[in-house]
Amino acid sequence: MVLQSSLKNCLQLSCILRTPKAGFRSTTSGSLIIQSISNDVYQNLAVEDWIHDHMNLENRQVLFLWRNSPAVVIGRHQNPWQECNLKLMRQKNIKLARRRSGGGTVYHDLGNINLTFFTTRKKYERMENLKLVVKALKALRPQLDVHVTDRYDILLDRQYKISGTAAKLGRTTAYHHCTLLCNADKFVLSSVLKSPYKGLKSNATPSVPASVKNLFEEDPSLTWKMLLDAIAEEYATQHQIDHHITLINPADETALPGINNKAKELQSWEWVYGKTPKFSVSTCFNMVHKDSVLDVKVDMDVKHGRIEVCHINLPEQWLPPALCSELVKSLTGSKFCPNETTTLATTLLRVCPQDDELHSRWNLLCENMVMLM
Amino acid sequence: ARKFTDKHEWISVENGIGTVGISNFAQEALGDVVYCSLPEIGTKLSKHDEFGALESVKAASELYSPLSGEVTEVNAALADNPGLVNKSCYQDG
Repeated sequence: MVLQSSLKNCLQLSCILRTPKAGFRSTTSGSLIIQSISNDVYQNLAVEDWIHDHMNLENRQVLFLWRNSPAVVIGRHQNPWQECNLKLMRQKNIKLARRRSGGGTVYHDLGNINLTFFTTRKKYERMENLKLVVKALKALRPQLDVHVTDRYDILLDRQYKISGTAAKLGRTTAYHHCTLLCNADKFVLSSVLKSPYKGLKSNATPSVPASVKNLFEEDPSLTWKMLLDAIAEEYATQHQIDHHITLINPADETALPGINNKAKELQSWEWVYGKTPKFSVSTCFNMVHKDSVLDVKVDMDVKHGRIEVCHINLPEQWLPPALCSELVKSLTGSKFCPNETTTLATTLLRVCPQDDELHSRWNLLCENMVMLM
Repeated sequence: ARKFTDKHEWISVENGIGTVGISNFAQEALGDVVYCSLPEIGTKLSKHDEFGALESVKAASELYSPLSGEVTEVNAALADNPGLVNKSCYQDG
């Protein structure tokens, strides 16, 4: 029954989407509430792209509801090395996504709900949307102290951020999306949103850190589903439509032609890392080898995620100079990426004599270089 | 002569080189610009192609090319000083 229902809903959506501009006759505004059945951040971001590119919003607006399994989402013009702990994320299998809207970095998991309000560019109005969310929350739990700030955050008890906002303005369409913390893992959130990388200089847009709280902590009877339903109901009321949520499958190429390519692009290294504004890394680290401590200074310029310029200052003769200059030469032009650097370092080592001391020094240097990425 | 698109970009052409910017109306509507994402020199654009974006108050606003051609120069001052778009949208921004 559930399967049939969602299939029916998906077909309804594709009919609506294919209806030509003048064709949709309705006494209501014809606005839509859709919810993704996927928890994949790239697929869900692809749905936003798809709606932005393909839907005609002259006579209707759309509310898109989605949740993601653990992921860090950075803004369009941000630097992931500045914003989050990529090492920790790789260990914990937390995805990194770059969205197309502006704003700062957020952590998503299934305890967070995402809301995207689609309108024409003319009708773009973030404050109105956020007031709708606050109205819905207060209708559900009148005692909740929630309000919208002029930074478009939603604060709980005047102190804790429970929602952050970002937006994208296209030629004719705009979207405003925001998060809502229901029951997310705050420990993971704070540990992944803390960057361990030092010495970075960049004009990328920075995030503004805030203390956060889950609505669940304020009222343990609240679930994400209740919050989602309350918001959908308020949207339906304000847009004079039925409180009906259409489910969509972001992997359905028939309902959403071209969507899989969009998801693929959003996952690509070129988009996630390659779109990082130019930055420089200027740092030093100590290496402890046997009984000595060595100072190493590294300077790199990274453009489009690739190392454009690379300088490594090591104590003289600690490693064969020819080998060091080969390392610098190989790093130049390669991705600022731990895997790529490890591969390149391993390859270079193969042409060296089987000298344990040399190998151990080389590995130590390369491990430290990889730590910067 | 400066011509305007219906999306508030402007273009003025001299000796086959067009200079593109956004209008005063657009910069006011956007708010303080904090980042300019501009194309690489040599990028070939067709009319209506998205060539970059301006970010202001957490909103990324796409920029669309008012003409077809090849990018020969980009305003490098905007990298360190994106606010020039607000302060001087017809000259330095």
